[in-house]
Amino acid sequence: MSSLHALSQSDLLPRRRRDWLFGLGLTIVVIVVALAIVGPYVGPYDPTLTTPNVSVPPPSLSEIPGLFGAWISGSLEVPPNWMGTDASGFDVFSRVIAAPRTDLVIALVANGLSLLLGVFLGLIAGYYRNAATELMMRVSDVMQSFPVFISAMVLVALAGRSTSNIVIALAFVYTPIYVRLTRAEVMSQKVRGFVEAARALGNTELSIAIRHVLPNSLTPALIQASVTIGFAILLTAGLSFVGAGVRPPTPEWGLMISTGANQIILGEWWPSVFPGIAISLTVFGFAVLGNALERRYDAS
Amino acid sequence: MLFRYISKRFAVGLLQLIGLTIAVFFLIRLLPADPVSRLVGMNASPEAYAQAAKQLGVDRPLLAQLATYLGFQPEISPGLLQGSFGVSWVTGTPVTAEIAAYLPVTIELVTLSFLLALAVAVPVGMFGALNPGGKADKGVFVYSLFAGSQPEFWWGLLFVYLFFFTLGIAPAPLGRLSPMTTAPDVVTGFMTVDALIAGQFDVFVEALHHLMLPVFTMAFILSGPIIKMVRQNMARALQSDFVLYANCAGLPKARVARYALRAAMAPSMTLIGILYGFMLSGAVLTESVFSLGGIGQYAISAVLNYDYPAIQAVVLVITAISLVVYLALDLIHAAIDPRIAY
Repeated sequence: MSSLHALSQSDLLPRRRRDWLFGLGLTIVVIVVALAIVGPYVGPYDPTLTTPNVSVPPPSLSEIPGLFGAWISGSLEVPPNWMGTDASGFDVFSRVIAAPRTDLVIALVANGLSLLLGVFLGLIAGYYRNAATELMMRVSDVMQSFPVFISAMVLVALAGRSTSNIVIALAFVYTPIYVRLTRAEVMSQKVRGFVEAARALGNTELSIAIRHVLPNSLTPALIQASVTIGFAILLTAGLSFVGAGVRPPTPEWGLMISTGANQIILGEWWPSVFPGIAISLTVFGFAVLGNALERRYDAS
Repeated sequence: MLFRYISKRFAVGLLQLIGLTIAVFFLIRLLPADPVSRLVGMNASPEAYAQAAKQLGVDRPLLAQLATYLGFQPEISPGLLQGSFGVSWVTGTPVTAEIAAYLPVTIELVTLSFLLALAVAVPVGMFGALNPGGKADKGVFVYSLFAGSQPEFWWGLLFVYLFFFTLGIAPAPLGRLSPMTTAPDVVTGFMTVDALIAGQFDVFVEALHHLMLPVFTMAFILSGPIIKMVRQNMARALQSDFVLYANCAGLPKARVARYALRAAMAPSMTLIGILYGFMLSGAVLTESVFSLGGIGQYAISAVLNYDYPAIQAVVLVITAISLVVYLALDLIHAAIDPRIAY
């Protein structure tokens, strides 16, 4: 059974009902993915337009039920600011649910790119051991010794603060991880019996590498991807926080925390706290998912 | 044997650093940024632009610039071979001196955070491994996953809101000392150590007070992966034959746990080294929340001002420190674990 098949849909559901942690992680990830699709359209306000009401605090917990009733029955002139507004008048709630479109898409595309490139290079480096692939591994070593956060910051700031440049910078820092993981797995798979069998049947080396060794060497990289997606979200947010990420008024969690940071010292907590909770839960969700997959497939 | 191992590691590390130097040098020059117009302004005359380019030396061919940077042309300006990172394009100060001023701040922060994180995480991870499958172990496990996947800059802000704004027990996040205090003479660059050397105990306490929240923030994030690792290695050690033997021989439980911890800490050293290198660069965010003015904040301003010599120096220095830390921890690994020989 190939590992691609082993990671099919039915296996992603919790095997035991008691595995609540896995369920929690999966729920968080599904919600964030859903928000990445519909988030920018379902918020009560336009996430990129300011309103005249600046620094409105969120309703207190006791007001929420009444407010919710009034909102449902349509007796409110304007929708409530569930998470308040920030110092420029942006509705925090609309921006928090619109942000996965930015954060998750950057993380997914960057990981997709580095996974593709990393697996491809890792397969070559593991299957064909020669001077060229050795040189490639040394280059990969050098790339991996770059300090991650500072390298990403340098790449984005010098190439220009755009979404596509963030994606490229992240792909650049993550590719060596996938190269190394895939190469190690390919090296352990290619000496196994099924490869010998495929060779005896007259398959060409290229076809053995792609059709037999590759599918059996994907598991470590795929497990790593689920953890790295979470870290990519942290990195994206961190870049915005230091002024080397997406530009305002893009709804992005790190940028929201950063613009709220100046107010927090004066007690205006809501513009920073809500997007922070969103990042915190999202990355935790991906970590839990990655951990569950790791435990499931490492044992075998 | 040991000497040969160390010299081999140094040689490999040196090659890696040379590769890194050249890679960084070309990489930042390949990117479509124009440091000259950043420096003279968008509306500068072509003459002023050419003048500035000449002054920075960027009008020369790339290979000639690299040769100067590496120090093969000391008659033009000293380079890496002469121990110089060049002159900052923005401040005009030698980068080496700037790094020497900013780096200790980060090392102090990261080291204290590690000590605190280890002091908390090792007992907690051990506790989890000694009671496998229990409610407490599950709690420890979930905590470690959670702490390891958190945005530290957000927690820093949260701590500021809680401990500075609400409770008033922490100082404002505006530096290493309050603006009214005169800093002690710089000897090591570590504020706490310098205060002690100067015999100013009140400044020492104040420096610790200002480090409290940043260290809490980083130690919280660090505790996640450390607990996870200690718990895993400890569980593995507890299942090994020598623990079974020690138990059969009737040794007291606490003593067996101590032996197992020693075997569990040895492989943990490598990961701690990797984490330390990672944190030197990751401290950027914590430093900027608390305005500590370390190497991370220096990197931010270098990057945003296109100060190429400073960018190159930061990347090189952090990588070099990481490599030395890996080597040191590998040696400690060998010293703790009698099964390892070089």
